[in-house]
Amino acid sequence: MKSNPPKLSLRFFRWFCHPKLRDSIEGDLMELYEERKLKSGKLKADAHFIKDVLFLFRPGIIKPTEGYQNLNTYAMYKNYFVTAWRNITSKRAYAAINVFGLALGIACALLIFSLVRHHLDFDKFHAQADRIYRFVTEEHHGEVEYSPNVPPAFGKAFRDDYAFGEKVTRLCTLNDKLITLDENGEKRKFQEQVAFADPEFFEIFNFPLVAGKADGLLREPNTAVITGQIAKKYFGDQLALGKIIRLGSDIDFTVVGVLKDIPAATDLNTEIYFSYSTMKQYNDWYAADDAWGGITSEIQVFTRLQPGVNPTEVEAVLPTYVQKYRPKSKNVHHYKMQALSDMHFNAQYGGKMSINTIWILSTIGFLLVFTACLNFINLATAQAVTRAKEVGVRKVMGGLRAQLFWQFTTEAGVIVVLATLLAFAASYTVLPFMNEFFNVTLSLNVFSDVRLLLFLIIVIAAVTLLSGAYPGIVLSRFKPVLALKGNLKGGPGSFNIRRGLIIAQFTISQVLLIGLIVMFYQMRYVNKMDMGFDRDAVVMVPVGSRDQKLNTLKTQFEAIPHVEKVSACFGSPASENMWGTSFRFDTRTEAEEFPIYFKGGDEDYLALFGLELVAGRNVTASDTVREFLVNEKAVLKLGLASPEDILGKFMYANGGSIKGPIVGVVKDFHDQSLHAEIEPIFITTPRNFYNSYAIKINMAEAATTLPAIEKAWSAMYPEPIYHYDFLDDQIASFYKAEQTMLTVVQVFSAIALLIGCLGLYGLVSFMALQKTKEIGIRKVLGGSVPQILWIFGKEFSRLVVIAFFIAAPLGWLLMSQWLTSYVYKTEIGVGVFVLELLIILAIIMLTAGFRSLKAAVANPVNSLRSE
Amino acid sequence: MTQQSLGEFEELVLLMVAALHDEAYGVAILEGLEEKLKKKVNISAVHVALKRIEDKGFVKSRFGGITEDRGGRRKKFYVITAVGKRMLDAQYELRNSIYKQIPKISFG
Repeated sequence: MKSNPPKLSLRFFRWFCHPKLRDSIEGDLMELYEERKLKSGKLKADAHFIKDVLFLFRPGIIKPTEGYQNLNTYAMYKNYFVTAWRNITSKRAYAAINVFGLALGIACALLIFSLVRHHLDFDKFHAQADRIYRFVTEEHHGEVEYSPNVPPAFGKAFRDDYAFGEKVTRLCTLNDKLITLDENGEKRKFQEQVAFADPEFFEIFNFPLVAGKADGLLREPNTAVITGQIAKKYFGDQLALGKIIRLGSDIDFTVVGVLKDIPAATDLNTEIYFSYSTMKQYNDWYAADDAWGGITSEIQVFTRLQPGVNPTEVEAVLPTYVQKYRPKSKNVHHYKMQALSDMHFNAQYGGKMSINTIWILSTIGFLLVFTACLNFINLATAQAVTRAKEVGVRKVMGGLRAQLFWQFTTEAGVIVVLATLLAFAASYTVLPFMNEFFNVTLSLNVFSDVRLLLFLIIVIAAVTLLSGAYPGIVLSRFKPVLALKGNLKGGPGSFNIRRGLIIAQFTISQVLLIGLIVMFYQMRYVNKMDMGFDRDAVVMVPVGSRDQKLNTLKTQFEAIPHVEKVSACFGSPASENMWGTSFRFDTRTEAEEFPIYFKGGDEDYLALFGLELVAGRNVTASDTVREFLVNEKAVLKLGLASPEDILGKFMYANGGSIKGPIVGVVKDFHDQSLHAEIEPIFITTPRNFYNSYAIKINMAEAATTLPAIEKAWSAMYPEPIYHYDFLDDQIASFYKAEQTMLTVVQVFSAIALLIGCLGLYGLVSFMALQKTKEIGIRKVLGGSVPQILWIFGKEFSRLVVIAFFIAAPLGWLLMSQWLTSYVYKTEIGVGVFVLELLIILAIIMLTAGFRSLKAAVANPVNSLRSE
Repeated sequence: MTQQSLGEFEELVLLMVAALHDEAYGVAILEGLEEKLKKKVNISAVHVALKRIEDKGFVKSRFGGITEDRGGRRKKFYVITAVGKRMLDAQYELRNSIYKQIPKISFG
């Protein structure tokens, strides 16, 4: 009978025993077991067996955890690196393509990472940032408008009426305000962004003080807090505390605190804060408790909620304010709460960076690295055949498949690490330019930045695995006998996978190219589009006052040589500064459903901007509201059949305070950026609303005209600071943010294309090398150069066309999505796709053509001679 | 290396390996020891001692052929090495020389 000792015990023994001892000891155990079974029966033998096994469970018998083979594997691993290095140096061109492509991809990924991270970090450094919210308003009047602001009275009312907010602060941010320092009679003037803030502002937001008392900061009227940077700018090395700074011409503030410099990653980047209790002196309406009539873009309200309070609870009580204070208004306010983390990304509420852009950038960063990986895989698998002998020998010598796999992955790893080092150096060099371009301060410091380090490690690991794994699998699959015989045709199907990879790469390239073309078309469309008014050679200069001096200065401007026309106005025809108001028309009793937008301008406004009248006449000269012009859109929205019908009718705007007859209708022009639709507008002549002079000059004489304008202005207003803008610059600035973003997307897409081309070049040169003999034979048998070129051409053009059919719908879908943010947009016509296909074919011809031509014209004697 | 040491049980196992010359494997050594010592010895103790003296270089081992019994497991035969033999000699000398110093005492 065969012996069978307790199985569990035996298995336990086999598990723990040192493999070198296992056989002999197990044999001994068996022998003893058999003997004992014969002598004293199975039960005793079993017990003995178990006891023996347990006694054997001791150091010396148990296998060591770190591996028992005392082989020095160091040599093997060293060999991996040696082989990798030999391969890199012996095939320099391919290695260079791989390293360079990967380095480009990784460098871009690094830059994108730092940029994306910079934006994701916005306002994350405040304590309990998840409980901080901003109150925003949805204005419902026919359509819905989103405003990041609330009525001026909102903040105080909410703080007094409800206990939801642990802290509530109002923040009134004012741009380009005049700050005057008066030191020993010497006046220095600055133009700054300033803000009025409640004391709670510094309790909600984490802007620490470096000087001054935190307790009761900004509680006293006429106190100010400035940043260290401003303190240095204003007072140099002197102590800033106790100094006086003047806002505008008459409000003095004592500096009571100096803040640490504001970090880069915040949208609350004002550097001068005044106590909100001083607001009354600056603007009565902003300080009033009953200021519910409208919203100004200058006032925001923030709160940090009590722990456990849900923002929806708070939003539920907010409509009571609307019922209480704005019961009749046609512009129905809905107050909402916006999380602090949403502030930077929500374009609806003026977020600076749309989350879409972040996604687009991240995707492109990923694609960049991915195409570089595809290059690597393509080249590596294409060259697999050349490594076949090596694989065969290694397998014969006992190399396991897993070991071979890791060997090739190590090789990929060496290349990736090289590429990463190069990428790091490159991105480090480029970073300053990028910082300047985006006006940010990004840094790449691996040693102090854990997340960057982590990102690098992940990128290296992921890229190594992504690009090393597939070639590793293919190569390690080779059958040693076949590999050594040398009749290897590559694994079954591997060629199709490679085709798939090429198609994937062409698809990515083509989608990016379609994107590039559409963006280019759209930007050209935007820049070339007729805004409906003249914007060339117009200089915008602020008004210094809104009294008789305004008219005097206008006459003085007109007297300057080469000044063609001057108009005092609220703003240029197209401006981001919109002032909408509800109004009543003619004899209708109810106010209209839609708001009408105000454009103030004197009698020269139409002529200066080249606005056309379609009916009626221009307004007559006046300093107050007397007559109105409206645009065609207003006529349309009022439901009138023709512009003539509106002439002579009265309109009552701004609660009836602005009223008069409509005397003319102007042709529609774009009153905002092309992101927005043309709104109904009216033009009238109230001097007390004018902000700017629009001055049309002769550009050829600008060098003398501009100083003359400044001289006249400064002579009239010696106190404030003079500045001017060209209107076309102003309009271009509407698109500045997206232009910047587009440039980035374009640059990165171009780099992705370049990486794709690199890979293609490598592949074609490899093909050419492999087909050297074939080409030679073909030529000897009478094949012509074009025929041989077509060998290369047909393969790639077929793949390009397949990729095109994937890329075209994808590109169309993505770009139509992108275009939805424009109201006036270019069409994505067939032309785009034809152009795209032509470009990609041209690129392929350029990259692949040169190399294949070289192969095709080579003398067959040379290629056939050697064996 | 410093002076190699040899524990008491290790010395016994080494002696037994030497005595069984070429036929010394786990069970044989165990049984030989049990017979001489007249007491039960655990196989694990034998194996641990064998491993130690092999590590010290006093014995070397070879595998025997595969047989039907022992569950088809090979025997591992141990042979004493020159070093091992010298060690045994030295131990023997030592003990002998000390023994010889014992004065003749008669215990009545």
